[in-house]
Amino acid sequence: MAGALSLDEQRAAMKATWPKFNERGIDRQTQEIRWIGKCRPQFVTYTLEIRYQLLKYPKVRVLTPELVRMPDNPEGAIPHVYPPADDPTLCLFDPAQHQWDPTMYIATTTVPWSYDWLACYELWLMTGRWTGGGRHGSLVTNNGAEA
Amino acid sequence: MNAPLFFQGRNPFDDPVDRILAEIAMSSQLPPGLHNKATQRFKAAREHLEADARFEGDVEHFYPQGSMAIDATISTRGTDNEYDLDFITQLGGRFRSMQPLAILKEIEDAYRNYPVQKVARQTRCVTLYYADNMHLDITPALRAYGRLDREGWITHAKGPNASTDDHLVDMNAYGFIAWYRERTPTEQRLAKAMRDHWLAMDKALQAAEVDEVPEQCNFIVKNTATLALQLLKRFRNIGYANYSGRIPPSVMLSYYAGMAAQPDMSLSDMMIRQATWIIGDIEQASRYGRLLHVANPICERDVFTDRWPTSIAQQNEFAKMLKDLVAGIQAAKRGDMAPNKLMDWLRHGFGDRVVTLAADRMADEIGGSVERAEQGYGRRGGIILPSAASIAAVAAPSIVRAQPHTFFGEKI
Repeated sequence: MAGALSLDEQRAAMKATWPKFNERGIDRQTQEIRWIGKCRPQFVTYTLEIRYQLLKYPKVRVLTPELVRMPDNPEGAIPHVYPPADDPTLCLFDPAQHQWDPTMYIATTTVPWSYDWLACYELWLMTGRWTGGGRHGSLVTNNGAEA
Repeated sequence: MNAPLFFQGRNPFDDPVDRILAEIAMSSQLPPGLHNKATQRFKAAREHLEADARFEGDVEHFYPQGSMAIDATISTRGTDNEYDLDFITQLGGRFRSMQPLAILKEIEDAYRNYPVQKVARQTRCVTLYYADNMHLDITPALRAYGRLDREGWITHAKGPNASTDDHLVDMNAYGFIAWYRERTPTEQRLAKAMRDHWLAMDKALQAAEVDEVPEQCNFIVKNTATLALQLLKRFRNIGYANYSGRIPPSVMLSYYAGMAAQPDMSLSDMMIRQATWIIGDIEQASRYGRLLHVANPICERDVFTDRWPTSIAQQNEFAKMLKDLVAGIQAAKRGDMAPNKLMDWLRHGFGDRVVTLAADRMADEIGGSVERAEQGYGRRGGIILPSAASIAAVAAPSIVRAQPHTFFGEKI
């Protein structure tokens, strides 16, 4: 894709913006990188994993603590995620609205969006309501990019 | 540049734990609209007494005492929307030679046909009950000449007949309020944050009731010590909701809030500080087999603990409750409680309804901010809400603002 940021550009931006995120492996052959970092948007400290393969969508998982499920909630046991249910990835943007593409920095999109998700998730646990907006829908693929 | 000579205080809405605590305090407080009503009722009650021929010229002062005077009014024990407001009426003339029960009965008589739901004589005051669950306690007092301004005695008489147990009790409520105010000066940042949130909340409530929003609101918590005091009182009210006897008195908690006051502390730290101070004094007293003794700092004969505690077990029970409170706040500050567990703990300590209201307000505000992409994040991922983000972004370019985005995905 024209204008796509290289892995090294993404790495440099992550290092400069989020010093608490550490690189945990880069594969030059598959053009894949993984970061792990701690954050505390509100009440609890989380360990996040961000995986990114060049030209595909970044994937974000909460490694610790285990996400709390609320099976009877109208928003689902956990809202705004992609399966599998026992190892979900966060769904941070609507692919249909083209809110992310590889010309964008993960540091200024995926990371703060993950924090947004965590903030809304905590408030959902407290109130039973997801107040951060969004819509639910099934997995969308876009030019082979897996959300 | 010289440092300012006043303290700004901290905005409790900038920190998540402090924020939920402040929201709980707001849900427990006398709302600004009702404060205006209380002020009008206070004025009307005073004018009614002054106009009564039996009191003409003998009402020397009529002034708020207790929580009303230090902006710490919260809903009454066991309720979410009942408020007790306390006033002193200092009487002179013929009242100085009357017995305590006779004075109380005279005040009760004066309000007999007053337009309220009920008038009731208590041991130390006369209570006016309004239909909207507001109660005005009017306590008669006699001045002790030669002592400090407005120092004197209040009446104590169970009735209905005069008894040898009837007596006058030393007090200087006026002096205590002055002492408290001096120790808890206004913290501008906190006062503004509370004012803005209160008016926004009151506006929403008033709009729902199709009423007018008060143009002016003078009733604002002005410092962190008083906000923490409100929360301690609320915690006590919930802890003792099913008790029928006396509970740790509000004036005693106010004394500790004044003693523990320190500028620029966070709300949660201030709550821990006040609670720890009380625990320390109770443990010290219990260690020597004594009852907790707290007196008015400017009138040692005015004993705040004259009716509570009545046993060491009673005071130890309160210390235990406070220890649980401190442990809970500390766990929340460390991030050791999952948000759903935090809610369980808050509901247990501060009551289901007010905690639910507080969390709902927080969810709406933060969720809305996320939807509009107005918030930012610090280097450690801490959320910085719009009010602080605009200031912080100038001072700290490391603040990252989230771009607009739409959550998607499945319900699993």
